[in-house]
Amino acid sequence: MIEVKNLVRTFNSGDRTIKPVNNVSFVLEQGTLASIVGKSGSGKSTLLSLLGALDKPTSGDVVVDGVSLAGLPDGKLTEYRRRDIGFVFQQFNLIPNLSAVDNVMLPMEFAGMKKSARLQRAKELLEQVQLDPSKHERRINRLSGGEQQRVAIARALANEPKLILADEPTGNLDEQTGDHIIGLLSSLSRDHNTTILVVTHDRALANKTDRRFRLQQGNLTEEPVRGRTAAAANA
Amino acid sequence: MSVLARSVGNAFRNKVRTAAVVAVLAVAIGLALAMLAANQAVGAKVQELNASVGTVLTVNPAGGQGFEGGGEPLTTGQEATAAGVAYVSAVVGTSSLRLRNAAEAAAQSAAGQTGAGSQGGQGGQGGPGGQSAATLTTNLTAAVDAGTLGNRNQQANGTTGTSGSTQRTVRSLPITATGIGAQVDTTGKALNITEGTGLGDYTAASTGALLGTTLAQKNNLGVGSTFTINDQAYTVSGLFDAGTEFGNNAVYLTLPTAQTLAGTPDELSSMIVTVNSMENVASAKTALQAALGSDKADVTQGQNLQTAVSSLDSVKNISFIAFIAALGTAGLIILLIMVMLVRERRREIGVLKAIGAPNRTIGLQFVLEALVLAALGSAVGAVIASFASGSIASALVSSNTTTTAPTGRGFQGGAGGFPGGQGGPFGGASQLLNSVTASASPGVIAGGIAAVFGVAIIGALVPALLTARIRPIEVLRGE
Repeated sequence: MIEVKNLVRTFNSGDRTIKPVNNVSFVLEQGTLASIVGKSGSGKSTLLSLLGALDKPTSGDVVVDGVSLAGLPDGKLTEYRRRDIGFVFQQFNLIPNLSAVDNVMLPMEFAGMKKSARLQRAKELLEQVQLDPSKHERRINRLSGGEQQRVAIARALANEPKLILADEPTGNLDEQTGDHIIGLLSSLSRDHNTTILVVTHDRALANKTDRRFRLQQGNLTEEPVRGRTAAAANA
Repeated sequence: MSVLARSVGNAFRNKVRTAAVVAVLAVAIGLALAMLAANQAVGAKVQELNASVGTVLTVNPAGGQGFEGGGEPLTTGQEATAAGVAYVSAVVGTSSLRLRNAAEAAAQSAAGQTGAGSQGGQGGQGGPGGQSAATLTTNLTAAVDAGTLGNRNQQANGTTGTSGSTQRTVRSLPITATGIGAQVDTTGKALNITEGTGLGDYTAASTGALLGTTLAQKNNLGVGSTFTINDQAYTVSGLFDAGTEFGNNAVYLTLPTAQTLAGTPDELSSMIVTVNSMENVASAKTALQAALGSDKADVTQGQNLQTAVSSLDSVKNISFIAFIAALGTAGLIILLIMVMLVRERRREIGVLKAIGAPNRTIGLQFVLEALVLAALGSAVGAVIASFASGSIASALVSSNTTTTAPTGRGFQGGAGGFPGGQGGPFGGASQLLNSVTASASPGVIAGGIAAVFGVAIIGALVPALLTARIRPIEVLRGE
């Protein structure tokens, strides 16, 4: 379970103080597929960074399975990211001189998995995201945007994290592949009890999530999904 | 893909830049290895020289140091005193003679030049024994090509010490004749007899003589041949090779024979004192000086060799400093390159941290990448060193010789001072310097490369530690 308590993140820009995340609180039960929608610059990516321990809040806390991230040292936060979090970045952030399969193997290498095991799992994951096997050994900079996005998703799933934070995971995909990825994320949350929080502009994706939040000027509000109320979704 | 494989891959990410970095590193590493090879070669030579003369002390008449002559001759009584000093295992007396070719001496006299008998004293170049060395005539012709000796020849002949005559029509060197009390040269080294035998009983007068190989060849003499000194016939008992041109332009007689020829039966030009061990040399030297009296005798330890060793020590120090400097340069190059790479890959480092890479893994990746570059630079540098180490060492040694020669009259005096017993087979100290041959042996290369790797690790640690300070959000925020 992820518990977000009065989370605030401010930045100073000259004389101005910007508050992309302003007193945000919510709770996500394990296995929930949730989405955050909002305009560009509304603070969605900043909120993901705070949840993923990439950034530290100005105030407030994120509690994961009873453990407060605010009190953890950098080494423990790295361990948390490695073990419990899977990131899908908007710009993919893959290592350009490595192959697709090597990129997917990286988190597993950091987790100490044996080479043969991580190679097998990396190939399985790339098949799950429907990357052509002939492209598994191809360098990232020789793959299309959509292919890179699929590799980024496969990398996020590598260590079977409890929480996947995805920033526009279907943004560069065609409709068919996008639907497949949505299906994959749904099955992960349903079958593997993985909590998934996606930031998206894709209405179709947002409508397929269990819960939907809207972030406006740093303030988070929950919206009903597919006719369900927030209370129903939480139940 | 392991950290090592990733590091190797990263090292070749930009091939042109990698080639440039490796080339610069190779020059620095090659220079470091060449300097190390020179240092090792010179060190070995110094050790060899120290071992060869380490236990031998030379006693000369007081005031006779520096090839300037002077001092009362030593006596056989002092020889006995020296033999009784603690740690002294052997004492060999020598009596030096100067032989002039009879025909050339007559020609010089006819040309109005100063007579041979006054040359040593006037020129002051004859060395300690040169003052008292008797100059005798012989039918032998000197083997040293006088034409190559320039002013040294003049000084040896005493021409510069006279009226300053510039007449150079007659050029000849005196031949060194030394009476010895054992089969050793004037530095205490055993004579290398190449043909024939020794002189037999060195303590008794005889008409036998040992000739240097080149002197014998110049005069077409062999074992059993005869030659004259002051019109008295002597038979060649054997030929020796001293290893140097000067050393082979010499004659050895028994000590009593030389003393009789000089007309000074109880006098010695010098004494070769052998100490029982290297550890006792300093004590024996002090005790010997005290026993003989500093107003009567000067006790020294292989002066020409000390000069040579001193010069070689300078080369050794210079090469060591150059080795450290080149090594430091290699380390600095690695440091700067790795700092540049870390700055260039900040975003990538941020991504690795975001997906859970520990700081040590990222740091190790950069250290390994630095080591890959160092290994490539070392491979090329070793090739450079294998070709350049010999010439670099020669250049270092010869430049040091050039520096030493003008200030060290010992080199000139070494030739002129032969009769005084300072020159002898080691008169050409520069030959000792030039005999240093450096080569980048596998051992030297291995040691040098180990040092390069050590420096590379240190150079890479700083940028590796810099990676720990990169916060993922700072580089990912650009999104």
